[in-house]
Amino acid sequence: MSASVLQNVTHSCFALSYLCALLLELGRTFWPGKGWRVAGLAFGAAGLVAHSAFILFHQPTPAAPYGSLLLLAWVLALFYLYGTVHHAKQAWAVFVLPVVIGLVGLSLALATAPNASEFTVPEWAAGDRFWGIVHGLLILGASVGISVSFLASLMYLLQARRLRKKLAPGGAVPMLSLERIETMNRRALNVAFPLLTAGLLVGTLLLSQGHVTGDNWLSLKVLTTAALWVVFLVLLYLRYGGHVPARRLALLSIAAFAILLVALVAAHPFAEGGAK
Amino acid sequence: MNLRAIGCNVESAAVELREKLAFDAAKTQRALAELTARFAAEAVVLGTCNRVEIYVSRQETVAALHVPMMAEFLSEIHGVPASAIAPHLYEHADASAAKHLFRVASGLDSVVLGETQIAGQVKDAFESAQKFGATGPLLNALFPNALRVSKRVRTETGIARGHVSVSSAAVDFVQQVFSSFADKTVLVIGAGKMGRLTLKHLAELKPAAVLVTNRNPERAASVAKECGGRVLPWDRLDDALAQADIVLSTTGAPEPIVSARRYAERVRPRRGGRPQVIFDMAVPRDFDPDIHDGDAVSVFNVDDLGRVAEARMAERRKHLPAAESLIESEVAKFVGDWNRRANGPVIGQLTSEVDKLRDGIMVPLLAKLNGKLSDAEKAQIEQAFRLFQNKLLHGPIAALHASSHEGQSGGLREALRKLFGLQG
Repeated sequence: MSASVLQNVTHSCFALSYLCALLLELGRTFWPGKGWRVAGLAFGAAGLVAHSAFILFHQPTPAAPYGSLLLLAWVLALFYLYGTVHHAKQAWAVFVLPVVIGLVGLSLALATAPNASEFTVPEWAAGDRFWGIVHGLLILGASVGISVSFLASLMYLLQARRLRKKLAPGGAVPMLSLERIETMNRRALNVAFPLLTAGLLVGTLLLSQGHVTGDNWLSLKVLTTAALWVVFLVLLYLRYGGHVPARRLALLSIAAFAILLVALVAAHPFAEGGAK
Repeated sequence: MNLRAIGCNVESAAVELREKLAFDAAKTQRALAELTARFAAEAVVLGTCNRVEIYVSRQETVAALHVPMMAEFLSEIHGVPASAIAPHLYEHADASAAKHLFRVASGLDSVVLGETQIAGQVKDAFESAQKFGATGPLLNALFPNALRVSKRVRTETGIARGHVSVSSAAVDFVQQVFSSFADKTVLVIGAGKMGRLTLKHLAELKPAAVLVTNRNPERAASVAKECGGRVLPWDRLDDALAQADIVLSTTGAPEPIVSARRYAERVRPRRGGRPQVIFDMAVPRDFDPDIHDGDAVSVFNVDDLGRVAEARMAERRKHLPAAESLIESEVAKFVGDWNRRANGPVIGQLTSEVDKLRDGIMVPLLAKLNGKLSDAEKAQIEQAFRLFQNKLLHGPIAALHASSHEGQSGGLREALRKLFGLQG
């Protein structure tokens, strides 16, 4: 793929592809048939290819809100495709794609005209900023886990609501069993917490050594990330030690995702009052 | 096409008659042998608990088999008076017979709409007839088509979606909570009929263990023996409840055996938040409905399961028009294809016969005029004869093609055979 072709790939290309995939998936829930799924998968895969090409060409930094949101959306798009292929009968896309599209939209709102770079090591990955990147990647990994946990929690709440109301199983939006959703949630949290902890430690060291300019200990980003870690700690304690109903844990996971979004967006100049 | 589907089903005949007309392996073999030998017919015998049907196809040139003759035939096979059989038999002819088979194989003619078992029974009936050499070109084309259509109907419409019996709806519910059953324990409380039926469906999930408890130890032992379970004393009910993931309760107790308070105090704290599904199949109910929270504990009673089963059936009924439409188009395609296939030899014979007639007139004529005509003039005469022949045959052949689309070319083929003296 030549650089000129890659340059023409925009947010709209993959956002619209994901949207079409979502609409087709919704169509499948009302009118069953193989065609919907195949067409939805084709659009989803096309969106992922365009998304990958965009990231490859523009190489957004995970240390900035724009890049981290875009990269997070990309990982979740991968998760969507994997889930749709492996859980063919479930309405996987109905849950994952809105989040992917939302993250792409949010990144677009925070975009500050990304530069079309050459295929070289980007500036942000070189020299002193290496640990900043490590920090960004660790937080990104944790963000993926938190996002998966958020999706699992949404599915759990919907499935539990169906059971509480004793609605007919399956329905328009077929979903995984509570047990399977719970396993997915647990694994996501188990992966996310160490990454978040490590990311937070690296960030703390960078802050204490004055490697990071503009941020300070009381900045919104630092505070929300710390709050996220505390929520996670509570979440893990309740999950493994508190025997709290799974529905409450799901609500707490959703709250964690909301804090994550604030933490990811917080570094942007708008959120920092234009300080950066 | 000379196809007939003759038989009776749950709507046309009472179970007493259907029982008498049931085909075992020996009777099936005998019937197929008789039908092929006596009537020179292709035949398939389809016998299920809800229907007895015979599909027969004969040459188009011979008379079709009808209800009176089939009643006589069934009377000979089963020893039931034909007069007792005939009023309960229905008959579908040609395209209608094909449509009937497609509907039967797709579960549209079943008591439980969209049931899947019938497709296997149709397949078995066809394979059995094939094994005895009772099938021919038409049925060899019709039955595989019926099975293909049945698959299309099930996959392209929602006609077979979900369980529609009360006991099997329990499986759907339990699968909403658990995904693996190899590590799950089922507890059976009591020994009611509905409970046993539900247990049969749950046992298909292959749980790790089945525990059985009952006020009457002997009845507990009997149920445990039936399902390969382990008996627990009645006074250890709380322990069993704390241990079990799926509970099936069917006692005849006049009031709940597990109150919300008892569950909250003696069972819930010991479960560590693990989900539990309780099927309370007893009337009056065995479990206090307040135990249900749809998160850690889900309690479903007979009414809940019945409502789901009925909702499923209503959902299936919504897909009926789509399924019928698919079958209509498949029948039209099958009949059209079959007629085109059957028209081929007739058109071939017709052309060949008229070729012979033409040559019978043209060749002596050209011989008589030999020497008086140039080669160009001879060619013109030959061309004129061919043109006349083509114009003469265009009408019948076009009518044959047109009628094959309408599914009524059998009569026309027969007429052409008679008019032009073609062989059958």
